[in-house]
Amino acid sequence: MWDGLVIGGGIAGLMAGIRAQERGKRVLIVSVGTGSLAFASGVLDFGRVELLRQEEKHPYVLLGETAEKAFSYFLQCCPSHHGVWGRTGMALTPLGTLRAADLLPEGLDASPLTHANRIVLVVPEGLKDFFPEVVKANLQKQFISSTIQLKRLRIEEFVDWQAVGKPIPDTVYAKFWCSEQGRETLKNLIGEMTRKMVSDSETLVFPGLHVAACPEVEKILAQAPLPVVEMTSFPPSAAGQVLYDRLRGRFKALGGELLIGSGVERVEVESGQARRAIVKSKGKEISFTAKAFVLATGGFFGRGIVASSTEVRETVFGLPLYVPPEWSESSFLGAQPYAYTGVEVDHSLRPCDPVTGKVLLENVFVVGRMLAHWDPWVGHCGGGVSLTSGFLAGGLL
Amino acid sequence: MNRRDVRRDGDRQADNKLNLDPARGEDWMHLDACIKCGACTAQCPVAAVYPLFPGPKSVGPDAERLRLEGIALAPGCLAYCTNCKTCEVTCPSSVRITDMILQVRRQEQEAGTGKAICRLGMRDNLLGRAEYLGRLGTLWPPLANTVLGWKITRRLLEKTLGISARAPLPRYGRKFRTSDIVPLVGETQSYGRGETESYGCVKTDQNRRSAKKVVYFPGCFISYNDEATGQAVVKVLEHNGFEVIVPHFHCCGVPLTANGRFREATANAQHNLGLMQPYLEQGIPVIASCTSCGLALKEDYPRVSAPGAQRIGAQTYDLFEFLWVLHERGELRKDFREVQVSLAYHAPCHLKAQGIGTPSVRILRLIPGVKIQELDAGCCGLSGSFGFKAEKYELALQIGSTLFQRVQEGVKEEAFQAVATECGGCQVQIEHGSGAPSLNPVWVLYQAYGLGISSAIG
Repeated sequence: MWDGLVIGGGIAGLMAGIRAQERGKRVLIVSVGTGSLAFASGVLDFGRVELLRQEEKHPYVLLGETAEKAFSYFLQCCPSHHGVWGRTGMALTPLGTLRAADLLPEGLDASPLTHANRIVLVVPEGLKDFFPEVVKANLQKQFISSTIQLKRLRIEEFVDWQAVGKPIPDTVYAKFWCSEQGRETLKNLIGEMTRKMVSDSETLVFPGLHVAACPEVEKILAQAPLPVVEMTSFPPSAAGQVLYDRLRGRFKALGGELLIGSGVERVEVESGQARRAIVKSKGKEISFTAKAFVLATGGFFGRGIVASSTEVRETVFGLPLYVPPEWSESSFLGAQPYAYTGVEVDHSLRPCDPVTGKVLLENVFVVGRMLAHWDPWVGHCGGGVSLTSGFLAGGLL
Repeated sequence: MNRRDVRRDGDRQADNKLNLDPARGEDWMHLDACIKCGACTAQCPVAAVYPLFPGPKSVGPDAERLRLEGIALAPGCLAYCTNCKTCEVTCPSSVRITDMILQVRRQEQEAGTGKAICRLGMRDNLLGRAEYLGRLGTLWPPLANTVLGWKITRRLLEKTLGISARAPLPRYGRKFRTSDIVPLVGETQSYGRGETESYGCVKTDQNRRSAKKVVYFPGCFISYNDEATGQAVVKVLEHNGFEVIVPHFHCCGVPLTANGRFREATANAQHNLGLMQPYLEQGIPVIASCTSCGLALKEDYPRVSAPGAQRIGAQTYDLFEFLWVLHERGELRKDFREVQVSLAYHAPCHLKAQGIGTPSVRILRLIPGVKIQELDAGCCGLSGSFGFKAEKYELALQIGSTLFQRVQEGVKEEAFQAVATECGGCQVQIEHGSGAPSLNPVWVLYQAYGLGISSAIG
């Protein structure tokens, strides 16, 4: 018998697991695959919490008060992230534009760019999904008074990749910089840049490098006389992977168990209480009994919600969903109503009937993207709602 | 037929080829389920270190579309897939990537394409037959180990067969036997039509008349390289009141599959299923202590056409999975003595692929004094015989480098004294790559039950 079984191993599920383990509970997380953290950017948004609390039924109406606590708790769990509550930072997108961000992986803080006379954009040869000319043009647009220069970098270790014309993923580059040759190359490069410095307000933009992945790289950069700004990348991203590894590592170090593979098929319910989760392992179904459950299956993207031409379905418990009357809106990048689809909950995150408001399952807590009435893209609050609801659920298990 | 129908038809054909279970509703969409996120390739142990391997996304779902149109990749592309199944475990959309790759390899074998040059073909033939090598090696283990220990032998093996001279070939030991007692005639016959008698099967001497029975599938590593661990497994099961039945199995077939010998693998599966069939019919569980054998029994055997195939998947348990089920039922003996030991745990890829979590860690944490922490540092790189091959030896070490580094750091900081892992191949490779001792977790349980002292724990 587990104290808590978390269904879904994304950011909300991991957060719930970590907090509950820390409270001395025994927790099992069951996840279909590695979750979307590994291909997200590693940057987390909380959005304008007070403003979003004004929106009818937005999860922040329930969670808003706890958001700041969840923010600091996350920073404790993941010291390689930085952020100050109430102050928004910024990071570079893979195309070189700036985006606002509340929690940033170390190294991604783009603020040094604002007072740089000269920006040197490192162009690691063969880096996948990196378009130096586009990035340069975007940087120039945003930092009109700075000179932008490209610094091409050829790495001997990747000659084979080049020869077969295979692009080098950001994750592979990040691993290279952690290696002995990588660190040596990095030291030489920084040395060269230092010698060529023309003014003392220069900044290096360095895609494919991730200090958060490696303490030795962090030491090298700490000694560099010029700031180094990293970039987010298209999926799969090293920064997202590092965040995933850290949270997973923390959960396991606290004694939690993670079962990645087939996910929970269904949960058996007896008189309003969820009892046993059925997992389709190889060859047979196996079951795990738990006192309480967290539903963190990630909405449409995580296949926690599936839509067909006839129905919209919550895939584990078959919970009734709030489904907006109109699904889409003509402006592609505008607010899309389908995003509001999800489970309605009471103040303890327990699922409720969207019509009667009655609590449906006493010992199930719904978190993250499974919650109804919010749009992470318009509200810029994906990380905030997920972390806060996960944090709360971890306290309830 | 409009375009949409054509496309769907293509998908259905693909799914038929893959033996997907149509009962799971959306399974016919497996190919469509791939959202091209690239998580599989990012996690692939080989793709990260070897640029010439395009990675699971490219050779799996991407190339599958082309294959449906009759366009095949160059055969060599697939040779570097180690069949570790990390891609399938990773995939957030449950796409059966390894299945697709294996299917193509099977077709290559059937069509006679994709044959490696003769020397390597012979090598793969040999490495696929761990069982026959084992039988030879265990005839006179000191001789086999001495000869294999000579540099000249290893250099010859590398020159002639492409088996790396530096690879950690496991030493041969006494052949695994549970007991030398000949089974009683009456008893073997009780398991139907006397078949088991003719194949021969050995039962353990304790608990001969126990109502609780299990069949133990030891696998080649236990049978030919590490019989002591096999004995420990049997003693632990007996301590819990089980009669342990060990029919004379052949190799499970995984090394054959990995070396492209699919027909032979199927023949082995049919032979083994024949031996298990009478026990399966009586509902007797089959226990595997090797995670690759266990995975084959659970995943591959149900697809073989043979009696017992219907039952084998549901009745096979990893040893610790089985012990955990006993624990949950309140049937696991907990007369544990304290065992003061700090261990790191390495989860073998084929345990992860079984989708049962890490039951050995759960069990070991029940024992007073045991400290165990999962390493979570990826694949060891050996992948059965992959790391023994001359052209892949270095690559295998590179794949395992993160793991070895973490092990070395942990041992240096005295965070743990040894690495526990169920897979014999992982044990050999971890010791080779990191220099740290490695053992099967069953030894901790063996010692906790007071069955003996394990030298690896001290």
